[in-house]
Amino acid sequence: MFIDKSMTRDVVTVGPETSIVTAQTLMAQNGIRHLPVVVDDDILVGIVTDRDIRSAAPSTLLAEAEKAAGERQLASMKVKDIMTANPVTVSPTHTLEDALLMMQNFKVGAFPVVDENNKLKGIISVRDLMRAFAQVLGLGEPGALIGIIVENRLGQMKRIVDAITETGVSFGSILVARVWEEGKRAVFPYLLTNNIAKVKNHLRKEGFTLLDPMEWYLDRVPKKN
Amino acid sequence: MRRTGLLYDERFALHKTGPGYPESPDRLTAVLSGLKNPGLLDKLIPVPATAAKLKWIEKVHSPKYILGFEEACMLDLGELGSADNQICPQTYDVALLAVGGILNACDMLMEGKIDNAFCAVRPPGHHAEMREALGFCFFNNIAIAARYLQLQWNIRRVGIVDFDVHHGNGTQHTFEDDPDVFFYSIHEHPSFAYPGTGREFEKGSGPGLGTTLNSTILPGQGDDEYRLKIIRDLVPAFDEFKPEVILVSAGFDAHAEDDMSDVRLSTEGFSWIMEVICRLADKHSGGRLISVLEGGYSMALLPELIENHVRILLDL
Repeated sequence: MFIDKSMTRDVVTVGPETSIVTAQTLMAQNGIRHLPVVVDDDILVGIVTDRDIRSAAPSTLLAEAEKAAGERQLASMKVKDIMTANPVTVSPTHTLEDALLMMQNFKVGAFPVVDENNKLKGIISVRDLMRAFAQVLGLGEPGALIGIIVENRLGQMKRIVDAITETGVSFGSILVARVWEEGKRAVFPYLLTNNIAKVKNHLRKEGFTLLDPMEWYLDRVPKKN
Repeated sequence: MRRTGLLYDERFALHKTGPGYPESPDRLTAVLSGLKNPGLLDKLIPVPATAAKLKWIEKVHSPKYILGFEEACMLDLGELGSADNQICPQTYDVALLAVGGILNACDMLMEGKIDNAFCAVRPPGHHAEMREALGFCFFNNIAIAARYLQLQWNIRRVGIVDFDVHHGNGTQHTFEDDPDVFFYSIHEHPSFAYPGTGREFEKGSGPGLGTTLNSTILPGQGDDEYRLKIIRDLVPAFDEFKPEVILVSAGFDAHAEDDMSDVRLSTEGFSWIMEVICRLADKHSGGRLISVLEGGYSMALLPELIENHVRILLDL
């Protein structure tokens, strides 16, 4: 899945000479935490975050006189003084999986999206990723989740899909919890039906073990014997 | 004893659904036996079922959807949109009768002929959206009734309580922006149950922000959690909103023995909820309340649950 359909295209940007106070105002007005810094024709030179600004701002613990001096200093500072120059970027042909793993790896909340000439095309943030994955989960479609525990071996998913298809019910999505317990996986089909009892009864009849909903986790530490 | 109306019509059974479909005509037989055997039928004032005028249905549903529903029945397509919404050639007419009967109950209530009413209708309604049949529902009975009370009877504030184990998505979406209709729903947590909406952060939007309220119950939870949330959420909300009429989406599928959910409400728990709702109606609405059947799929349980429900309405 490429990121160019999931990224935010209408990006609020600042220049290196923009004052920090202006940048702060832009973030607050737009409810965002990252501002790409561009020059000329949208060429990316840096990124400034709300955290960069907070670090530059005088501590609230300072005495009034010191605080006022700090605020005067902040008012004279520019984005170029605190931005991260040459930030990590992605291209429109990077994938959502790239962005997800890169966010984990670099511990940042957003990447500017640039073309081969370093021209800004958009920004992809945690929020964009969450929206995309919420959609993949099928959360917007009416349905219900069930949990099934199976042996971790070939052909289990086919058995599940076949058994559910026999009940005439459509799938919204299927999640698999890989870290479950030794040799087992938990499979969570999201089914587009209100008639969930029929599906559960059929699965039990076919020999599947259904998980108690209060035991539903995506991550579960393997049990120690 | 209160003067309680009963909307029941044998034609509601003409909405025939296929095998393995829980929303079956047998449900009505179970409901009726719950009223007949303990001798409650004689104490109830009959409300006639007549076909609703399209202009009222159109207050909630789009004309295109209504037409599509009618055509699908005429053509005997078997389902509307998904296998969850099974139809037969009579379904459209039955759905019109159900709505029309509920509107008749509204008239009798407002004319002072009855104090409250129970409407044992099929098909149910609370999942039906403006343009979509969902989860066994075609016309949103309760939403149309609320609009009718506002437009025909100049009722301004309508309070809706939905205790079906599934969230009343269609009703919520109809009134999300409307500050004059308060929608309260208590249901199984949407991460574990159809249709996946009704999270506690959903509180309405625009001018209607604050007049939608959802309480969620986790799998395995029962009476204690229902009591806690109804006292914490519903009661203060209605005390502040002061509904002039209360409408109830009465679903009986949260029962521990009903396999449509993992929630474990007891028979007594259902009675407690209904008593609280009736007290709220006494306090704010001059007792005016109309209860409309939604879900509830255990033939063994329905008679007793309905008997208790109607006894509370009658104040016996």
